[in-house]
Amino acid sequence: MLLLDYQNVLIQSVLTERFSGAPPVSIDQTVSDFDGVTFHISTPETKSKIMVSIQIRCFPDLLRYGAEEVLNREYGPYVVSPEPGFDFSIVVDLENLPAEKEARDDLVNKIALLKRNAMAAPFEQAYKEHYHLKQEAAKFTSEEAPQGVREGGEVKAIHYREEEAIYVKASHDRVTVIFSTIFREETDRVFGKVFIQEFVDARRRAIQNAPQVLFRNDPPLELQGVPGVKNTGTGEIGYVTFVLFPRHLTPQRMPDVISHIQTFRDYFHYHIKASKAYIHSRMRRRTADFLQVLRRARPDSEEKERKTASGRTFKVGS
Amino acid sequence: MANQTPAVVMDNGTGFSKLGFAGNDSPSFVFPTAIATKGGAAGGGSGSGRPAVANKPSFLTGGAGPTGHLSGKRGTEDLDFFIGDEAISAASGPGYGLHYPIRHGQIENWDHMERFWSNSIFKYLRVEPEDHYFLLTEPPLNPPENRENTAEIFFESFNCAGLYIAVQAVLALAASWTSSKVTDRSLTGTVIDSGDGVTHVIPVAEGYVIGSSIKSIPIAGRDITYFVQSLLRDRGEPDSSLKTAQEIKEAHCYVCPDIVNEFGKYDRDRSRFMKHVVAQPGGREVTVDVGYERFLAPEIFFNPEIYSSDFLTPLPVVVDGVIQSSPIDVRRGLYKNIVLSGGSTLYKDFGRRLQRDIKQLVDARIRQSEVRSGGAKSGGLEVQVITHKRQRHGPWFGGSLLGQTPEFRSYCHTKAEYQEYGPGIVRRFALLGGPGGS
Repeated sequence: MLLLDYQNVLIQSVLTERFSGAPPVSIDQTVSDFDGVTFHISTPETKSKIMVSIQIRCFPDLLRYGAEEVLNREYGPYVVSPEPGFDFSIVVDLENLPAEKEARDDLVNKIALLKRNAMAAPFEQAYKEHYHLKQEAAKFTSEEAPQGVREGGEVKAIHYREEEAIYVKASHDRVTVIFSTIFREETDRVFGKVFIQEFVDARRRAIQNAPQVLFRNDPPLELQGVPGVKNTGTGEIGYVTFVLFPRHLTPQRMPDVISHIQTFRDYFHYHIKASKAYIHSRMRRRTADFLQVLRRARPDSEEKERKTASGRTFKVGS
Repeated sequence: MANQTPAVVMDNGTGFSKLGFAGNDSPSFVFPTAIATKGGAAGGGSGSGRPAVANKPSFLTGGAGPTGHLSGKRGTEDLDFFIGDEAISAASGPGYGLHYPIRHGQIENWDHMERFWSNSIFKYLRVEPEDHYFLLTEPPLNPPENRENTAEIFFESFNCAGLYIAVQAVLALAASWTSSKVTDRSLTGTVIDSGDGVTHVIPVAEGYVIGSSIKSIPIAGRDITYFVQSLLRDRGEPDSSLKTAQEIKEAHCYVCPDIVNEFGKYDRDRSRFMKHVVAQPGGREVTVDVGYERFLAPEIFFNPEIYSSDFLTPLPVVVDGVIQSSPIDVRRGLYKNIVLSGGSTLYKDFGRRLQRDIKQLVDARIRQSEVRSGGAKSGGLEVQVITHKRQRHGPWFGGSLLGQTPEFRSYCHTKAEYQEYGPGIVRRFALLGGPGGS
C-alpha cells in the first residue's frame, strides 16, 4: 500500500451494506478520520434514514473559503441542518435511493469522501482565483501588471490541526500550497527530513513534471504578514511548499490534485512509520542472525573419551 | 491533543481481528488476522510452523540493480502487502503468500504484526496514532516480553499517545455488565471463551487472572463444523462442504436439555426437520436436509465422546474443576458469575444447560459432604451462567465500554512515561474498571 485512500473505508463499507438492500437496522457509530475529524453515523428517526455528520476543527476556516458552496454542490438534496456538536450533516433515506447500482455506488463514494470534499473548498477557490488572475495577467506584460495581479490572491490559511496549518495562495502563473509541519519526536524529524529531501529531489531525477517542492525551517516569503505564522527560529516547525504549475492546474486534473495534496501529511506520516517498521524488521532479522552465530559457536563436545590400544580409556581436554 | 478523540480498541485474535473506536456498540472492522506478502515464503503452506523470513529488498543485496542509479535500487517491497479479507483474496492469486502472525492467541511474527497494525491503523481506521489512545488485548498467560514488544512497536514506531493492554478475559467480564442479571459490576468470575480453535476456561478474581487454574479444551467452533460436516457426509447429502456445514451450524443449531428426549421429539414431530438451501456456483440450488445435528453438534461440549476419542471431559466438569482448583475464598464469586464469550457460545440455551449441569455437580458434592459431616446443613451455593447480547465480540465490547470512561486515559501509559522507564513499564497496568473505577 503506497498511497492512502481518500475515502473513509468504514463509511463506505457501512453504506454499501445498507444500500445493498439489507434489512434496515439502527446504527450508532462514531468514526474518526485523520486530522481529528470525527464522523457520526446514526439513524436518529427511523431505521431507514441514515444520518452522517462530520466535525472538522477547521470548519470556520473552510466556511470562509466557500465550503458551503462546495458541499451544497456535492450533497445538495441530502443536506440537513447540522446535528448538535457537529459541523455538517447529511441524511440519506434508504427508501429513496437511486435505482441503478452504479448511481448507488457513486452516492456511497461521494459520502465517503465527505472530509475530502469539505477540505477541498479552499483549493477550489484558489483554482478559480488562479484562472481569473491568469486572464487578468494575459492583458499585461509582466512589468506593467498592476499590483494585485502580480502579487496574486490573499493567502488562505486552514488550521486543520492544533499546531499545523495549510496555506494556499493563488497567483497568475501558479498555486502555492504550504504545509507547516511539526514533529514531536527527534527520530521522526530525521526521517521526515529524508523524505522531504526525496520530494525535493524528485524533480531533478526521473519525474520532471512533478510539482516543485521546497523545504525550509523558517516561514517562506509568501507567508510574511499572515497572522498566526511566527518564526520561532528554533527550526522546530518545517515548511513544505508545493508549487503547482499550470500543468497541474487544468480543470480536468483538479480533483486528483486536490485529493493528493490533502493526504500529503497523512501519507508523509504513514511512510515515516512504515520505514520504521521496515527498519525494525531488519533489526529483528539481524538479531536472529547473530543468535544463530552464537549458537553455532558452541564447541561440539567438550570432553572426549579416547581409547588406547590396550583398551584403557582416558579423557582429553578439561 | 486536548480535544477528546475516541480511544482505538483493537482485539487481535488468532482467527479474527476486531477493530473499532471506544464508545461504539460493535467493532467497526472484523477481518481475519492475515497478511499476504509478496513472494510468500509460505506459498500456500501457511499451516507450517516455520517463521516466514523477511524478504530482503533488492537494494540491500549489494547493488543488484542493473544501473548505478540510486532510485533504481530503492525497493518498496516492504509496502507490498495486504491484510484481512484482501489478503485472503490476494493470496488466492499468484505471487502472494498468506501468513497468520498470531498463533494460539500469541503474536509469533512481529514483522508481520507490525505491518498488520500499521495498515489497520492507517488504511482501515484512518487515525493518526499520535492523536489517539490505544486499548489492546492479550490472551491470558501472555509472556511479559510480548507486552514489551507490543509497547515498543506502539510507542517507537507509531508514537501512539497512550497505551493500555488488557487481558481478554477481564474485558469479557466487563462486557457482561450489560446483562440485566449482573448487578454489582465485579471483576470476579469465570470466563468461558470459545472461539474457532480452542475453548478456554479462565477464572478471574478481582480483575486478575488465576493463571494456575486455567484449563483449555480442544473442542471449539471448528470442531463443531467438522462434526456437522461428518454427519452430512454420513447421510450422503448433496452438498457437504465445510462452508455449508458452517452455515447450518450458525443458522440451525441449538442446545437441548436431554438428547434422548430430543430424539423422541424429532421422531414424533417431523416439522423439526429443516431444509437448508445452498446456492452452488453456477446458479444451481440444492436442498440439504437438517436433522439431528441441530442439537447434536453443540452437544459435543457436554458429551465429547460422541465426537472425539481422546478428549472426554465434558465442559461443565472442566468448569467445576477449574473453580475447585482456585483459591477457596473466591470460589463463591466464580460460581456466581460464569460469563460466556466468543462465537461458539452463541447457541440457544447454551448457558441454561451449562448452568444446570454445573449446578447438579455442585449440589451432588454438597450433599455428599453433608452426609459425611453427619447432619450439618449447607446454605447452598449459587451457580449462575450469564449470557448477554455482546457475547460474540465480548472482549472487544468490554474494551469499548472501558475505553470510553473518562478515567481511561489516566490508566494508560503515555509515551513520556515509556521513554522515562523503558519498555518494562507495560508489565504493570492499573486495573481498569476495578474497585474505585466506574
